[in-house]
Amino acid sequence: MVTDISSSKTTPHMETPAAPATFKVNVPSSSTKLPATTGTLIDIDNLDFYYGAKQALFDVNLKLDDKRVTAFIGPSGCGKSTLLRCLNRMNDLIDGTEVKRGSIKIRGVDIYGKNVDAIELRKRVGMVFQKSNPFPKSIYENIAYGLRIQGQNNKVRLDEIVEKSLRGAALWEEVKDRLHESGLGLSGGQQQRLCIARTIAVSPEVILMDEPCSALDPIATAKVEELIHELKKEFTIIIVTHSMQQAARCSDKTAFFYMGKLIEYDDTRTIFMNPSNPQTEAYVSGRFG
Amino acid sequence: MSSAPTTPPTEKPPESAKAFPILKERTRFFGLTLDETIRAFFGGNAITAVVVLALITFFLFKEGSAFFGLNRESVTLYRKAGLEYVDYMRAQQESHTALTRYLFDIRLRAVSELTGKDGLSVAEANARLTAFDDFAGRYSDTIEPIRGMVSELTDVAVSIKDKYTINEDAKTERAQFLAAGMTAEADAVRIIEIDFKAELAPLVGVTPVYIETANGVATAITEVLASPPALPVPALDYRLTRFKELNRQFLATFPETRRLVETWDFQKPVPVLDTVTGFLFGRQWLTASFWQDWYGILPLFIGSLMVSIIALTLAVPLGVGAAIYINQFASLREQRVIKPAIEFISAIPSVVLGFFGIAVLGSVLRAWSQQALTLPEFLQGIPLVSWVLGLPLHALNAIAPHIPGFPFSERLNSLTAGCLLALIAVPTIFTLAEDALNNVPRSFKEASFALGASRMQTIMRIIVPASLSGIVSAVLLGLGRVIGETMVVLLCAGNRISIPDFSEGLSVFVQPVHTMTGIIAQEMGEVVRGSIHYRALFMVGLVLFFLALLINFFAQKIVRKYRISIG
Repeated sequence: MVTDISSSKTTPHMETPAAPATFKVNVPSSSTKLPATTGTLIDIDNLDFYYGAKQALFDVNLKLDDKRVTAFIGPSGCGKSTLLRCLNRMNDLIDGTEVKRGSIKIRGVDIYGKNVDAIELRKRVGMVFQKSNPFPKSIYENIAYGLRIQGQNNKVRLDEIVEKSLRGAALWEEVKDRLHESGLGLSGGQQQRLCIARTIAVSPEVILMDEPCSALDPIATAKVEELIHELKKEFTIIIVTHSMQQAARCSDKTAFFYMGKLIEYDDTRTIFMNPSNPQTEAYVSGRFG
Repeated sequence: MSSAPTTPPTEKPPESAKAFPILKERTRFFGLTLDETIRAFFGGNAITAVVVLALITFFLFKEGSAFFGLNRESVTLYRKAGLEYVDYMRAQQESHTALTRYLFDIRLRAVSELTGKDGLSVAEANARLTAFDDFAGRYSDTIEPIRGMVSELTDVAVSIKDKYTINEDAKTERAQFLAAGMTAEADAVRIIEIDFKAELAPLVGVTPVYIETANGVATAITEVLASPPALPVPALDYRLTRFKELNRQFLATFPETRRLVETWDFQKPVPVLDTVTGFLFGRQWLTASFWQDWYGILPLFIGSLMVSIIALTLAVPLGVGAAIYINQFASLREQRVIKPAIEFISAIPSVVLGFFGIAVLGSVLRAWSQQALTLPEFLQGIPLVSWVLGLPLHALNAIAPHIPGFPFSERLNSLTAGCLLALIAVPTIFTLAEDALNNVPRSFKEASFALGASRMQTIMRIIVPASLSGIVSAVLLGLGRVIGETMVVLLCAGNRISIPDFSEGLSVFVQPVHTMTGIIAQEMGEVVRGSIHYRALFMVGLVLFFLALLINFFAQKIVRKYRISIG
């Protein structure tokens, strides 16, 4: 079921890049044109992170670009999701977690600083979870929720943002006739796009995606990936994924983690075609992980 | 290996004939295998539970259903013996007595007002009230003619009823003699059939006299009311106005009473339906009376309801609030202390709670209620406030801001019982509500936080709505617990069998009541087995049983719906 909106935007990036046959994954061609980045948005500096007594991240240094898609890859338990959840302080919800050293700065502001309001931070750094988790409310209310909690109750304004967000998440055509039915009645892929729509409705600057496609079938996955390409025009996206194909297809830069340490961070093309670290090479070529 | 079957057998047993030992003799108990025995044991337990439930229902029905027949007989006799006729007039007399009491109440307030605020001695206060006393005395005397009639007629009616009862006893005696084969003794029992018409003649003959008397009384009341005294306490004038209004309503009932008296017929049959409605909607529960017993469940039902409303009003915020705190805010250590503590409340025997209610809570609440309150300015002149305080609006404005609060004199009332019942309902509501909150998927909470919601917003807009049906069913089960509780209400509710006066505003909740459970516990030990009173108590039990069934049914229905919606 291809809608007019998504089909019109499908062509450019669904084309199979002319990658050499020797590579297992499709890597974006070097000719792909990107709008110029405005530079570094998030600056992670010497970060040590603990779950109670157990150290989960070791001295991570990373600079994430504005209006780009960055992928975090690595085997299970390597700390990529932990780092992602540090970026909007979702780890605060877990007892005993602590940043013991280092800092994360977004536009130069340390998000673990003294006077930082985690609620304000999360309005600007949204998150999409591994398992789609719409609220047990109508589709409309799911999207309006983020605005309502900020005190926006103007019906006209809400209608406008709901439609814009659903269009932004390529879901509008599919649900426009049943906005007031439960969000739980949608299919898995639609639910995940609903969660993305919900996230962009509060217009964050950064969207964190924690394995957003791991519970989806290939067709739904393709739709979400298309969406990521659209969204990066407006948002900075950081995606954690287990699928190297996905990292290669969607991201501009890739960071490879292993055992809580950042092993290598470079352009996606470089990571997949010419990694400088043997561990990265072994992982991306599928020899472990 | 494939050659093995073709090789000739050796002298030893062949390797290929190795046993496959899966056959085993089963141990059998009474011809059943172990598995079947276990199955029968558990199945038996389940069946026993169902059978017991069915037996209880059957037993309640069997014992209770005869009530309606007996009640019909009783009401029929009430009519035939002329008690009903006398009661029309008695009702009039009692309304008048209630109005006289209203006057005395005004006097009491006036005295306390004069001695309190104005600082007069009691003698001085009484002196100021002479005109009022004269008025009250004249008013009280107006009903005398009817009172005299009622008193005479009562004797007549009671003697008819007694004759009938003696006869019935004699009939029973004779039947017993006959059954035992003692014909001679049976013949010796004297039975005189009662001619009701003849017996009632002196009663019915009074009708024209009554009509004349009633007219006279009405005129007398109107005359007395025409010259009301001036009260020395202006703040109480509204009560005098109210008194006049009540009298106007009272006089308006005279024609109806006259019609009833004139058209009364002792032979009119009592419809079967009347005995049912008389039980379900009867406003009187009156037993062991020399006159006529009434079995109306309404005062008991309202008593149970009021106590439950008070209990739930207190227990729902406490229980649900505590559940939200434990589920969303509390540290692990707090959880380890608070959860068992709340659950421990349900281990306190309710009779001990009853002691506490009698010894401490009742007195404390009463002392508290007698502290004077001041009505804040922003509440003055609001109609709702005037209902709450049980005062008309203009009176409220006149005496504000010095209102006396809700002083109540009974230590044991529905508030005392309700507070203790709340304590009993809290553990049920808390535990079930906490379960419901726990069942809300963690991902809802995370999603809400990730959208920039505060903790409070997440709780109020996501977690509580998602678990609402679970919370509602927790409240319903708490209600079931409260309605069925007996000991606390028996000890602390005050046990006055009357429908509280709802015109009194919020102070209806501090009046003594009796409850359905309480009446069964109190009276079941004293009734004659098989009597109408005994059967009536079973009917009350049946009503309670169905109420509990209904509440549980709805609670389960809601829970089932909730499971589907969260999926």
